[in-house]
Amino acid sequence: MSSHEFHRAALEHLDALYNFAMYLTRNPPEADDLVQETYLRAFRFSHRFQPGTHLRAWLFQILRNTFLTFYRLRERESALAEDGVPAWDAPMFHDAPDESSGAVEAHTDLERALQRLPEEFRTVLLLAEVEGMALEDVARILACPVGTVKSRIFRAKERLRGLLRDYSKE
Amino acid sequence: MSAHSPDSDDALGARLRTELRRYTAPVYLRGSIGQSAEPTRARPAWLAPALAAAATALVLVLASIPFLPRILPADPAERLVRSVVAEHTRALMWGTRRPEGVPTALPWLTEQSGIALPKFFGGDDRLVFVGAEPVYLEGRRGMALYYRDGDGHLVTYIALPYPGLPLPEARRVQIQNRWRPALMSDSGFSAWVWRQGDLACFIVADMVSESDVERFKDYFVRLRVSTDPVPAN
Repeated sequence: MSSHEFHRAALEHLDALYNFAMYLTRNPPEADDLVQETYLRAFRFSHRFQPGTHLRAWLFQILRNTFLTFYRLRERESALAEDGVPAWDAPMFHDAPDESSGAVEAHTDLERALQRLPEEFRTVLLLAEVEGMALEDVARILACPVGTVKSRIFRAKERLRGLLRDYSKE
Repeated sequence: MSAHSPDSDDALGARLRTELRRYTAPVYLRGSIGQSAEPTRARPAWLAPALAAAATALVLVLASIPFLPRILPADPAERLVRSVVAEHTRALMWGTRRPEGVPTALPWLTEQSGIALPKFFGGDDRLVFVGAEPVYLEGRRGMALYYRDGDGHLVTYIALPYPGLPLPEARRVQIQNRWRPALMSDSGFSAWVWRQGDLACFIVADMVSESDVERFKDYFVRLRVSTDPVPAN
């Protein structure tokens, strides 16, 4: 695959990646940065992509790894805050606007419930159910066995159902 | 829980696919990523070695400049004037090396320069004596005397042993029916050149305009009348 073909093929997945980034970050400016960083890394390391494998899964894997890298960095910085209070609303990227200024509100119970799920549950539902990826691809993105993916999907749905039940009672 | 129940896995999956908002990448994001994807024009493979070779050649040329033969004037007077002007420029830039010396009172100066001064111009209302020092020009030991006039011009007098120095006839100037020095120029400086016994004598200053040359002529007279260099041995 030539460089030009690779770039064109990668850009076909932009909307899907942006959608995934939005549900991970819940913040449009951070989603922008996350997707841009994902593409920068993908273009820089395009020689590592093995033709014939699933480009879509490879890009999602980069995006999630990038998210986790910055997310963990932010967590570590929060833990090191002088007052000991984690700054959860600190921007993921240093040059990103304040999260609180652009955070996306959940409009439905389903969105609210999904947002309350831990990242590994949210991600597995977004990849397997929303994006319709094969379990093998999801396993590759999450770097875990297929059995673990199935187990997480099951537990994520259980948790989601519980949250939806709680909302229906409110 | 049956597969058709509203709480079933399939139903929940379907809700996730249909009820969740689908976010679309903004146009500007697509544009900026598209721009970053455009391949940058690669440098030609030959460019780096060519630049390296050119840089190496340049360094070699610069390093060899001091060893290149200098193009010297064939005329001995012109060659000496060039050296004398270079010495004058050095004094102009860095000052004299021994500014305190009074030449007639310094045996070391006679010893080092090989020139004795039975008579010496020590300055007047127009020229102030600055200093004296031995010089070594064109393979000859000599003596330099430095003066400064009221306008700040440095005037350098140099005497070198050079028996029978040929002077360019066309450049000789008659002064007071007594002397016929040659008025020469080099690198923007004027120089009087004349023979005095077995010595070649020079006066250099940055006086090149017509009015300056008249004044320069006056300086020549003052120095010529009052200074009498002779070979020390």
